[in-house]
Amino acid sequence: MKLVSSIPAFCLAAVIAGGTLAYAYVNEAISVALEAAVPYVEQGFQVREDNWSGETTPGKPLLIRHQLFRGNEYWFWAGTSWPGATIEIAVFDSEGSSVGLEHFSRNGMAGVRVLPQKTGTYNLWVLPQYVKTGKGMTPAERGASDPVDGVGEFSGVLDWGVVYGYR
Amino acid sequence: MTIFLQRILGISALLAALTLVSSGVFGDESTKALPPSPERIDLAHFPGEIIDKVVVPVPAEIFTVLDKLDESDWSREIEIPKQTDWGGDRSRMALTFGALVAEGFVAVQARSSSEIETIGRRVLTLGESLGLASSVRPHSLAIIEASNQKDWTKVRAELDATQETVRSTMEKLRDDELAGLISLGGWLRGTNVVTSLIGNAYSEEKAELLNQPGLITHFREMIAGMRGPSANSTHIRTIATGLARIEAIITDSEKLSEEDVIRLHDISQSTLEEFYFDKSGDAQPTPSVN
Repeated sequence: MKLVSSIPAFCLAAVIAGGTLAYAYVNEAISVALEAAVPYVEQGFQVREDNWSGETTPGKPLLIRHQLFRGNEYWFWAGTSWPGATIEIAVFDSEGSSVGLEHFSRNGMAGVRVLPQKTGTYNLWVLPQYVKTGKGMTPAERGASDPVDGVGEFSGVLDWGVVYGYR
Repeated sequence: MTIFLQRILGISALLAALTLVSSGVFGDESTKALPPSPERIDLAHFPGEIIDKVVVPVPAEIFTVLDKLDESDWSREIEIPKQTDWGGDRSRMALTFGALVAEGFVAVQARSSSEIETIGRRVLTLGESLGLASSVRPHSLAIIEASNQKDWTKVRAELDATQETVRSTMEKLRDDELAGLISLGGWLRGTNVVTSLIGNAYSEEKAELLNQPGLITHFREMIAGMRGPSANSTHIRTIATGLARIEAIITDSEKLSEEDVIRLHDISQSTLEEFYFDKSGDAQPTPSVN
């Protein structure tokens, strides 16, 4: 996967290390998710080292179960590194109701803020999506848009990564 | 018709721009004011992929809440056990490693630089015994340095990083069972401390923090799925029994009573005596020099 971020992974590791984390290495989707986390580290969120990542078909939702504690404030950040791809993230309680209080999605990264009303298991919903562009398109589909140098053809799967922080 | 469409598009673009500006979250053109995710999902018939990986919360996530609810005497909870030579028993080493990292989180809450330094050194010694000295050493040194500077946020981050480095290294070496035992050791010690604090100054609000049935199921399944040489050892069987008893208390009680919390503490204590604390009255493995 190609890194869509404007901040190289090694710079990001250094930035986070200055705040709370010291990453030996990061995969590219996690790197994008951590880039989304940077402003929140400055607000006192402690970002966890452990995380979730993988590859999936665009448009296929993912569900991650995770323990949250009432009294903490959480941000979950998701990232995908494929140029032009998007990602969404939301959090649902055990009944399937959305509990996100604030949300953003831009440039292959997304985030959601949660203040759990109960301690227990919650469900993170992640949706990586990609609309074909560049080399992945037929000449008719492409129109005036040329493939991006060095990116290559879309393989049919998207990388994704999710990290979280608490305070 | 074309003019009509242009007007509609123009109005739509204006409305979209106003919405983005009013959201004020990031203020750039790609910020979405309303989440496009659904308001509800059907968990029983989820149409996508359910991710197996469980990220176990670090003890600090619960400690942070306890600190918001009450003034806890963290220094009373620090209990660094005697250094023990497990004679190559890697499962006990992994459990102890996780518990020691959890001890580090307790020492951070207590703001105890000297205890953190001791834990940092012990973590390194244990990392050496596990054959992971080069991975652990930088973290161990960073823990000690940050502790001397009283940078508690950095100490917490380094404790988390230490555990994650060792776990991921073990996973790369296809030693997933040991990686899981590190998390379990940390969770047991964290639960032991939390139940002690809640038992000392009980409230329903604090007791709710122990509602973690998903994590307990995860650990029970992990132990049940063990196939390595430790799978049938006495300490793993004792831990399996302890987890079953913890699960029974948590799932049977709608609200955990003070008595439930004390029982949970006793169970966590007896499981920790299999690898971390001295077993009262029993012969101990030979202690090595600290």
